[in-house]
Amino acid sequence: MNENTLIYLKNVTIGYRGNPIISGINFSINEGNTAVLLGENGSGKTTLFKTILRIIPPLQGAVIYDNNCRPRFGYVPQGQSLDEIYPFTVQDVVLMGTFGQAKPFSFTPGKNRDLVEQCLKDVGMLDLKKQLFAQLSGGQKQRILIARALATRPNILLLDEPVTGVDITAQKMIMELISMLHKKHKLAVMMVTHEFSNIPKWINKIIRIKNNMVIFEKTS
Amino acid sequence: MEQLSEILSPNFLLRNSFYIGLLVGFVCPQVGVFFVLRRMVLMGIALPQVSNAGITFAFLLHTFGWHFFPHVESEKAMALTGSIVFTLITIFTLAILERKGKGFTENRIGFTYAIAGAASIIFVSWNPYGRSEVLSMLKGEIIAIPDFYLWSMLAIYGIIFIFLTGFHRNLILISYDADMAITMGKNVIVWDILLFLVIGIIIAFGVMAVGPMVIFGFLLIPTITARMVTRGILPFCIVSSVIGVTAAFGGFYISYCFDLPTGPIDVALLGAILFIFYLGKICFLFRK
Repeated sequence: MNENTLIYLKNVTIGYRGNPIISGINFSINEGNTAVLLGENGSGKTTLFKTILRIIPPLQGAVIYDNNCRPRFGYVPQGQSLDEIYPFTVQDVVLMGTFGQAKPFSFTPGKNRDLVEQCLKDVGMLDLKKQLFAQLSGGQKQRILIARALATRPNILLLDEPVTGVDITAQKMIMELISMLHKKHKLAVMMVTHEFSNIPKWINKIIRIKNNMVIFEKTS
Repeated sequence: MEQLSEILSPNFLLRNSFYIGLLVGFVCPQVGVFFVLRRMVLMGIALPQVSNAGITFAFLLHTFGWHFFPHVESEKAMALTGSIVFTLITIFTLAILERKGKGFTENRIGFTYAIAGAASIIFVSWNPYGRSEVLSMLKGEIIAIPDFYLWSMLAIYGIIFIFLTGFHRNLILISYDADMAITMGKNVIVWDILLFLVIGIIIAFGVMAVGPMVIFGFLLIPTITARMVTRGILPFCIVSSVIGVTAAFGGFYISYCFDLPTGPIDVALLGAILFIFYLGKICFLFRK
């Protein structure tokens, strides 16, 4: 762990309800790093991802954040995991990214609305801001969720299967968008995927989960 | 028009019932927003029934000579306590079982509804003295509401409305994407508990005033109607309450003019509004 480390996993065991899936995980994500969590369905990659985010507590070991201060996470869930019953417009969804600092009993400040517009511009979706989120395609939803993550002003972007369920053209566009955001905002990026072919060349760390073990395949 | 000016007069005999109806019509849809969006509609059926069972149980205890509040002459305080206790115990038990993920939610809620309904009838049958009051409550006859209860409702519903408005963003975020809320440092469990507490209190007080059927109607129908015609969360919440207040006002006016029970008229009017909006939407889509 050094001064640039955002997240450090120290001898972590992950699992659900006391049942361990993978033990002895040690790695760190530094500022500006790009990493992929690769593994088959059911291998435990989403559990590891959620443990990193402290959505699930580790069974053993510790997930340590930089100076014990939670990094600003730009969390991007899978588009289809969000319920379509909510009558949110695209603007409503992206505005959620600003709720971390929102004060109770206050109107949305103008600067937050400007930030939402900027984030939508960054992902090329400003024209759709009045559209219903539920009516968008899979690829469009994913871009909007990336815009929402940007609205948190993150220092690390965490994406859960960002190209699952979208067509090949949209997959390429989403990966180019993530690469562009990584360079433009100097963001660390960590994403989960189950297909090796989805891993772009600019990724510098591959964390593969296989047979209940973590294997590091690429570090540059 | 004469009846309308009578209703709006500050000296109107049934003014408390009228104001309570408007209050329920305004605030309940704001809680209903979370029932519909979190897909807890079935819970919206079961909880008023449980609250009702709590009220009938309290009446029964009162008849048997058990008093929670010996110095309070009216049984209303005791009935309200029964309503709150039953509702809160049920909502938190259901929430804990839901979180543990054991069994099926629909089964649990269906079971709760059936048992609560049966218990209400048994408690009423055992209790000849409270029977007429409980039966009129079940029918939704919103007539005799004392000033004290009106002011209590105004205070409780007012606080809950302020809470829901003030913390709207947090409540929406934890409902829509709990994982993201955690990554933003929100304590999802605490917010969930607060939301369930609010739901329990709204139902417990509301059922005491207007009965389970009316509460269920105002929790769900305005919200379902608003969802059909709005775009965006803020218009959705505002239109839900506007529909609720309109139905409460219109329902009271019709029931007063034609001497009909207010509660069922309110719910029928909500159903008519839903139907009109649905037809309007179909026509709009057809023309488009």
